Amino acid sequence: MPLIETRDLRKVFRTIKRTPGALGALRTLFSRETVERVAVEDVTMSLEAGELVGYIGPNGAGKSTTIKMLTGILVPTSGEIRVDGRVPYRERKRNARNIGVVFGQRSQLYWDLPLIESFSLLRAIYGISAERYRTNLAEFTELLELGDFLSTPVRQLSLGQRMRGDFAAAMLHDPRIVYLDEPTIGLDVVAKEAIRQFIARVNAERGTTFILTTHDLADVERLCRRIVLIDKGRLIYDGEIERIKEEYGTHRTLVVELCEEYPGFSIEGAELEGRTGDIVRLRFDRRTISADQLIRRVTESYCVNDVSIEEPELESIIRRIYVEGYTEPGAASAPQPASV
Amino acid sequence: MKVLWPYVEFARTAFSREATYRVEVFTSIGAFVLRVYLLRSVWVALYAQNAAPPDIPLHAMITYATVALLMSLVLEVDGTRLIQTKLREGTIATDFMKPISLPLYFFSDGFGQTVFYALTILPSLALALLFVHVDVPPAPTLGAFAVSFALGYLVNFFLNFLMNAVAFWTLEIHAIQLMIRWASDLLSGQIVPLAFFPGELGTIVLNLPFASIYSTPLRIYIGNLPPSAWAAAMGAQACWLVLFGVAAAVIWRSAERRVVVQGG
Repeated sequence: MPLIETRDLRKVFRTIKRTPGALGALRTLFSRETVERVAVEDVTMSLEAGELVGYIGPNGAGKSTTIKMLTGILVPTSGEIRVDGRVPYRERKRNARNIGVVFGQRSQLYWDLPLIESFSLLRAIYGISAERYRTNLAEFTELLELGDFLSTPVRQLSLGQRMRGDFAAAMLHDPRIVYLDEPTIGLDVVAKEAIRQFIARVNAERGTTFILTTHDLADVERLCRRIVLIDKGRLIYDGEIERIKEEYGTHRTLVVELCEEYPGFSIEGAELEGRTGDIVRLRFDRRTISADQLIRRVTESYCVNDVSIEEPELESIIRRIYVEGYTEPGAASAPQPASV
Repeated sequence: MKVLWPYVEFARTAFSREATYRVEVFTSIGAFVLRVYLLRSVWVALYAQNAAPPDIPLHAMITYATVALLMSLVLEVDGTRLIQTKLREGTIATDFMKPISLPLYFFSDGFGQTVFYALTILPSLALALLFVHVDVPPAPTLGAFAVSFALGYLVNFFLNFLMNAVAFWTLEIHAIQLMIRWASDLLSGQIVPLAFFPGELGTIVLNLPFASIYSTPLRIYIGNLPPSAWAAAMGAQACWLVLFGVAAAVIWRSAERRVVVQGG
């Protein structure tokens, strides 16, 4: 049985209609006119225990709304939802024992208190046994390198330190499911990598299920095999990252370092994407020409020092899907493996 | 008592949080002593003009004013202010994601602060005694005062709770807060004993819920209420307590529903 299951999940918000301007604001004060906004529409998905899924969508796509429904703090307008056999909004507190949450934008640590005090408060909130608390705290302190600032008040921590603290806080009670909302926002490369390593490790060793919503697709690419794409409240893709890369990543870039600058450089079958000095970038469609053929064509006419191939980034693929919409390409294109 | 564990921790945490603001503590003790001195001067001057009701002699009045100020050290703590802060910062959602009762959380946070400020009562009183004389009633009266004070404390909690819960609908409650504050300062007997209100008005004011907070325990303390009237007075406090408690439960349920339907 799946750990998380939703069927035809739908959420409609009703808000008071606002009229712009000062007079409008005054009118809003008395008017009861409401507008409906569909935040989530017919979302059906299921997750197995131990999965690490990227939940992706532009701002306002309905990601947070879905997460709120999964955590039980928002009641769906219609549709079904089950998390570990429970309907979250009917058993909010029971469900809460089972989950952890990390929000990149707002901390759940207690601002005025040393980090360790927040942890011991959480220990009381979840009723964590002394034994389990000690083991988990020791492990997270080591993995996240919290040792240096355990007794520092949270308000004095750097963003990276605070985020690491937030991760430990979310996981002290061994939740089965952890929801991550933009967990690496604003972090530098090193801190991001530390967080990613931590997630990967906990997922692998403890079998914790993660749902990761983020704008940083590098997080997703590094951590998830499966992604769920949502746009305007609707699911537009649910499957492996590799598959959309295959289907949408039809173009590759061949980077060639030439022996000298050839002013009139051009190659049939590839588009000159850019050049800086003796380095040229060639964009090609791997359905019409293989990398192998293209390299041969270049070396036949020019002197070449070095070549390399760049894979398309997930980000550009997903941008394309949002613009064009996702359609099952089916048998229309038979992808060829890129070979060098 | 595993169920209560989180709330004991919340109270303990609130206590140590307040303890980190040391300057604040000294300032509040200083302000307290100043207020005791000023009030004493005002009352002495007023009594010299024969402006007082006959059943409260000057020494009882000064005792009343000083004890009222001591009580305010504890009663001005408002744990439910967290509701406003959390709604504004949008962190209320994460609290709903925890396996706890939020009203109990607010109460225990406020209670932890209360315990901390209760500790400042002793030094405040010691300093105040340099300027004023405070009557000490016999033990049974002190006991009745303590019970009545506890009831008033709870009435005050629920009043604050109801006021802050309005933020679930309006987000901003500044105007309401000011209004209730004025009403309660004046009508609870914190500044002026309710015996100063004339005739009909006095009767009305004595029967409002605000009287439960300061007036009833203070009247017991200064002997303005005879032991035969204690039961009725505390009964009235208990009634307000139940009424406010039920109202708070109803309001909280619909606030919670509002969060889960509208998304906080």
